[in-house]
Amino acid sequence: MSPTNEHNSLHIENLTISRDKTPLLSLNETIRGGEVLTIMGPSGSGKSTLLNWLTGQLPKGFNADGKVYLNGINISHTPSYQRHIGLLYQDALLFPHLSVAENIAFAMPKGDKKARATKISFALAEVGLAGLDHRHPDSLSGGQQARVALLRVLLSQPKAILLDEAFSKLDSQLRQETRELVFEQIKQHKLPAIMVTHDESDAIAANGKVINLKINQQIN
Amino acid sequence: MSHSFIAQPQEPHKTKASVRFFSALVKFSPKLLMAILILPVLGGLLGVILPAFGWLPALDKTQFNLQGFEQLIQTPGIIKMIALSFFSSIISGLLAFIITLLLLATYFDSPWLARIQKLLGPILVIPHAAAAIAIAFLIAPSGMIARLLSPWLTGWQSPVDWLLPHDPFGISIIMGLTLKELPFLLLMTLSAIAQPALNSKLRAQYRLALSLGYYPMTAFFKAVLPNIYPLMRLPILAILAYASASVEMPLILGPNTPPTLAVAIINWFHDVDLSLRIKASAGALIQLLITVSVLITWWLLEKIALAITCKTLSNGKRNYGDAFIAKGMQIFTVFLISTIALALLGMIFWSFAGYWQFPQAMPEQWVLLHWQSALQQVQTPIINSLSIALVSTSVAVILTLLTLEYEKQNGSQLSNCSSLIIYLPMMIPSIAFLFGLVWLQETLHANATFINVSLAHLLFVLPYVFLSLAVSYRRLDPRYAQVAASLGASPLKIFIQVSLPQLLIPILMASALGLAVSFSQYLPTLLVGGGRLNTVTTEAVSLANGASRRTSAVYALIQMLLPAIAFSMIWLVSTWQNKQRAQKMKTEVSL
Amino acid sequence: MLLNKLQQLMFSKKSRLSTLFVYFLLSKFVVVLTNIRTLGLRKQYAKKSKPSLPKTSIYRFWLLIIIVVIKFLALLSLSTLSYAQATSVKTAVQAAIFAQETTAKNTLKITSDSPRAAQWNTIEKLGKNQPVYFHAWGGDPQINSYIQWLATRVKQLHNIDLHHVKLTDTSEAVSRVLAEKSAENHQQGQVDLVWINGQNFASMAKYQLLTKNWVEQLPNFSLTNPTENEAMTRDFGLPTQGMEAPWGQASLTFYYTPEHSNSVDFTKSSYLESTQSAPKNIHQLLDWAEKNPGRFTYPKPADFLSLSFLKYALITLNQDKNEQIKSGLYQAVTPQSQAALLPVLWCYLDKLHPYLWRKGQYFVTSGTALQRLVGDGEIQLGFTFSAAQIPASVNRYNLPKQTRSFVMQDGSLSNIHFVALPYNAANSNSAKVVANFMLSVEAQAKKQQAHVWGDSTVIDISQLALEQQKLFNSNKPHPSALPVSSKIKALSEPHPSWSKLISVEWLKRYGAQ
Repeated sequence: MSPTNEHNSLHIENLTISRDKTPLLSLNETIRGGEVLTIMGPSGSGKSTLLNWLTGQLPKGFNADGKVYLNGINISHTPSYQRHIGLLYQDALLFPHLSVAENIAFAMPKGDKKARATKISFALAEVGLAGLDHRHPDSLSGGQQARVALLRVLLSQPKAILLDEAFSKLDSQLRQETRELVFEQIKQHKLPAIMVTHDESDAIAANGKVINLKINQQIN
Repeated sequence: MSHSFIAQPQEPHKTKASVRFFSALVKFSPKLLMAILILPVLGGLLGVILPAFGWLPALDKTQFNLQGFEQLIQTPGIIKMIALSFFSSIISGLLAFIITLLLLATYFDSPWLARIQKLLGPILVIPHAAAAIAIAFLIAPSGMIARLLSPWLTGWQSPVDWLLPHDPFGISIIMGLTLKELPFLLLMTLSAIAQPALNSKLRAQYRLALSLGYYPMTAFFKAVLPNIYPLMRLPILAILAYASASVEMPLILGPNTPPTLAVAIINWFHDVDLSLRIKASAGALIQLLITVSVLITWWLLEKIALAITCKTLSNGKRNYGDAFIAKGMQIFTVFLISTIALALLGMIFWSFAGYWQFPQAMPEQWVLLHWQSALQQVQTPIINSLSIALVSTSVAVILTLLTLEYEKQNGSQLSNCSSLIIYLPMMIPSIAFLFGLVWLQETLHANATFINVSLAHLLFVLPYVFLSLAVSYRRLDPRYAQVAASLGASPLKIFIQVSLPQLLIPILMASALGLAVSFSQYLPTLLVGGGRLNTVTTEAVSLANGASRRTSAVYALIQMLLPAIAFSMIWLVSTWQNKQRAQKMKTEVSL
Repeated sequence: MLLNKLQQLMFSKKSRLSTLFVYFLLSKFVVVLTNIRTLGLRKQYAKKSKPSLPKTSIYRFWLLIIIVVIKFLALLSLSTLSYAQATSVKTAVQAAIFAQETTAKNTLKITSDSPRAAQWNTIEKLGKNQPVYFHAWGGDPQINSYIQWLATRVKQLHNIDLHHVKLTDTSEAVSRVLAEKSAENHQQGQVDLVWINGQNFASMAKYQLLTKNWVEQLPNFSLTNPTENEAMTRDFGLPTQGMEAPWGQASLTFYYTPEHSNSVDFTKSSYLESTQSAPKNIHQLLDWAEKNPGRFTYPKPADFLSLSFLKYALITLNQDKNEQIKSGLYQAVTPQSQAALLPVLWCYLDKLHPYLWRKGQYFVTSGTALQRLVGDGEIQLGFTFSAAQIPASVNRYNLPKQTRSFVMQDGSLSNIHFVALPYNAANSNSAKVVANFMLSVEAQAKKQQAHVWGDSTVIDISQLALEQQKLFNSNKPHPSALPVSSKIKALSEPHPSWSKLISVEWLKRYGAQ
């Protein structure tokens, strides 16, 4: 099978992940830019392991067979720091030793200092966090932190984005808002995205293909 | 577990006395612990300060003056002594710190980190003296390295008159200190970041940095290091303080024209001319100043480093020649471990060597003679080492447990001031107060050598035991105690039946650490014991400069074996306990 | 004013006692504390004999803790006990001595045959069953095991526990006694017997730290024939005044390992051949060092062996001066004698140092380290005061087989070493018994055996019965030992003040580079 040569796409080809020789999941999927693939399933079904494999950080004890193409390039053996796949966790994981702006700057490519600062302020304003540049991340609310984390991933100019239970720690009102913001940005940047969740409403909001994993069961 | 608390009818009348006593004991123990730490240190400092300013009634000198300092300034080479002490400690601390960081950065996410930890761990418990002897064996002109490279590479038929060891610049001291401090710093850092909550957070942030395109080493330095440095600070300050005033390493590896200040002070103190004690006391105060200035220098370096790097953290640069440095570090790791292995191998060779001429890499004969004759003479020192260590460690463990229990019962950790006091003996150079302690003893006619030495050891054992036990004790899930209390158990019962059993392995670990610390004490044994109590360590140091390299090797190996035995006992107990547990599980399952 | 009062307060007997009391209270408190703890534990146990006990590991844990506590208790009480015992024993002994003295006086009138023997019998009786802390330099395993042999013998003979307190430098013992004296500890001194001579003896004598006129009491002292043999009562020129008993004698012996040892079979070549290339006098030493840079060194002052080498150099370098100037060496230093005799030494050392091991930038701290350097092949020429140590070290593999001993032809520094009894020794009687045994034919003959220590005896062998003389004859000489035929031109030790001067001046010149 040949990879799709399309721009902005994540293509997973004949993936089998197994643990101690017991197959855990198999997958064959293509996600186009702006699309969100939702993966649901109980814990232990291998959702997170899939994300770990995609970022090149498969934990010990797991085996994976298959290929992943990002924008037509095989990155199956590329070290994780060269894959350009952004990650959003349920925790914002903002660095406590850096300010809000520095957290975002940390993710941005090198460049002119002033241009970077303006870009950060602009982006913060865009998500309703204007003027919080120099605040300490701990002084922000949970929703604000989540938005900063999103900005950090987006401004790192990823070629794809993975959402690992990204909204599960937010209360329902905030959850909806943040989710909308994230999906909107994904569409705007035309990024292929994979979301792992066990919340039905996340899947509905994503408005894309949904895969349900079951423990030790082959899918597709 | 919990079934043992069911159906325990309360016996309020009988339990009251013991419970009351226990709570009094618990209440009193922090104060006793503080007193044991503070009184000798302060008394010792006083016993140094008074003579330093010329007040030594034993010599009929009862006028305060600055003669001691004047004499000190006139000592030939005093500046060099001070510089040697200062720079050897700061450079070795810096090197140990940098290598620790590079090791962590290279192997942060790799199984090799655990392996390196396991390999370097045993070095932690090797006494400084033994480590110094091993290093001297390695780098001497007739040492293992020269033997391995000669004559095929170097063409040397007889040892060449080169710089190391005892070089005037203190390079050998720096090498020795760095090699000894590195495992300490690495293991302290690893145990600090091993706390589950912190560890998972650090790892997640590290992965996040990787996913943002940061190369592994840069990711460590920019995302992880700023968060773990505060945890490294105390161990670093401890090694700096130790290094600035250590005696064993400079004595065995350092120059002597002039020596480091600490070594010179010891020589003055032991001089026939008693009036030199005034100079020695003045020197001890200067030593204290050196230590303080080393610590201040570190603090300044920290500030400078922070000012320089704080902007680069978020500049977006993701790679600083990482691949190159990582390769270099891998080679360095192999080099480091083989250096240590070679030093150890050299010692073992020497201890069994018959004739062994340069440049042969192996002895001509293998003989048991050196071990046999040493084992005949080493019995008393071993018994002394063991009994001092057992006494000081058991007192330390009991006091620490009671103090931690007090902490738990009061629901608050020790105040900053108290924790500072606990680490006092780690930070104040022992040379600065031990002389005063000896002087006090002489003045008080306190001749019970064994108790004196054990108390002196306790000073150094206590901080380590406390440091190692406090973490596990504070991490104990308080709910067990709460459940037990709700079932009507008294604090004493909770302490003995709930807290302690859960802490069996940490207590044993702390005891082993305490034993190891006590085994390695040289200066307190020598000074406080007045030479009447020979331990394996004092013997090893005095033989290090003696006639026989072979005997010296045997003693250094015995010195290494003692703590190793202590730790392997712990290992045996813990595996035995695990087995018991596993068996119980099995029987339960089969039922 | 205020200060004086404070000092008085701090150092008056009463307050010292009270501080001592506090100190002990503290240590006792720890005992009490643990005692009570174990008691509490037992109560807990007694109460808890119900079936609903938690898992067995608790028992094991407590067993362990109890063992540790008991061990600790035993140790603590043991050491406090021994202190208390020592004090009470001491007072008892003093009373006994007093009684003995008076009875001795009384018996003197009746049994006039041998007052000395009677006195010695008393000492021997009092000395029984006591410990002796023998402070002696402990850097030589051979000497250490000889002292251990002494300990087993005095244990068998008198039930005395001889403890060897190993010193790295004898001055440690000197400063300890001095400190005790200044702290007004006049009876409970920790040093019972000390191995000493030269400068350390001089300073102990100067500060009056030694018991006088006890040596004559030793029956075996007469074996040294002190009336004929003046050396037995003089230490570096100073009269010993019965403060120290001779133990052995030694002269400075050099040893040499020829280079490129693999090419020549040294087991077969003659003694002369092997030592041919070695320097034979102080001037040849300099030439040799120039030709073999980095292959010779000497220890740093104030090490005993270092000063011995420097004194040897001082004497031999001044050999051609006139007798009057030379006699200055055997008297206390004066500015004149210093100006006349010292410069030539510094001039020599200035020339020698660049050719020393480490170019004279590092000097080994202890004399014994020289042997290690020769053993490692780092240097080729060493020297020692115990000639017998050389063959013994070869046998123990510490020196190469081709090592050869020789004495310098321009003279060899010789001295006698002694054991002294500090004035405040806690166990003076047993110390005397030990010192007497050290002077016995048995102990001296054993000491002279090359494989034991090889230290020359101080006993006048010619006065002994033939049977006893045989004990001193060595068996086959070792190839590395000093040949029996070597002519030793003995150089007497200069006045002790020279040692101090050389040491101080050396440190000024070469101590900081």
